[in-house]
Amino acid sequence: MAETKTHITPGQRTAPKLQLEGVWRVVVLNDPVNLMSYVVHVFKRVFGFDESTARKHMLEVHEQGRSVVWSGLREKAEAYTFTLQQWHLTAVLEPDEAV
Amino acid sequence: MKPFEVKLVLPVVVPLLEVVKELSEGLRHTHAATPELPATDVIFRDLWKSELLVAQNEDLGALLALFNEEFLSEGVVAFDQNNAELIVRACSAVRLRLRERYLQALADEALEAGEVELAKLDEATRKAFMCYLFLATLQELIIQRMDESIIGS
Repeated sequence: MAETKTHITPGQRTAPKLQLEGVWRVVVLNDPVNLMSYVVHVFKRVFGFDESTARKHMLEVHEQGRSVVWSGLREKAEAYTFTLQQWHLTAVLEPDEAV
Repeated sequence: MKPFEVKLVLPVVVPLLEVVKELSEGLRHTHAATPELPATDVIFRDLWKSELLVAQNEDLGALLALFNEEFLSEGVVAFDQNNAELIVRACSAVRLRLRERYLQALADEALEAGEVELAKLDEATRKAFMCYLFLATLQELIIQRMDESIIGS
């Protein structure tokens, strides 16, 4: 499979210290345009999910309107959000307030 | 992914390319989907937006390159590991713009199910909807081949 072209992602820059603290969630929101098979493909490609995990998240997005697809440090969460937006998914970054 | 070719029906597809080209031109300077940017400094947000646009333009270039002289004479488009993912993403960008520009009057459920009464649409909307379906078909074909290559590897 082709490698995704690597751009210098904004998520790779050095952010102010305060912004890197805590746990952040990458959330994908539903949209009426992108195909289910496309969303599954993107999740597999970007996160390395297996088919069933990718489908689970896709169905969460489709049925509940959103799915938390990754959580962790801010910088990496930004990079994932950027990549998902590059694939034209509606991806947002949220602080994980439960942590 | 093994390279593969698809033969398209020229009289059906060529009229749709006008729509693809028109929307691709508009997408050179604007994002297909308005990106939700993280709260951070202005320079970083500008970098984020400009990098997305660079990537989008590269994808659209790969999509438009499919419809070259050979396509116009033979009706054949060719996919390989260098262009497949770019084209899949470009199809998504153009479909999003089609939805925004021409298909707003159609319900989400009808669009998702493909249950639209073509006879009730005006010419421009019908053409846009056909284009929307055509690009989805391209995406499905490519994704299927990419998935097969993962299973087979």
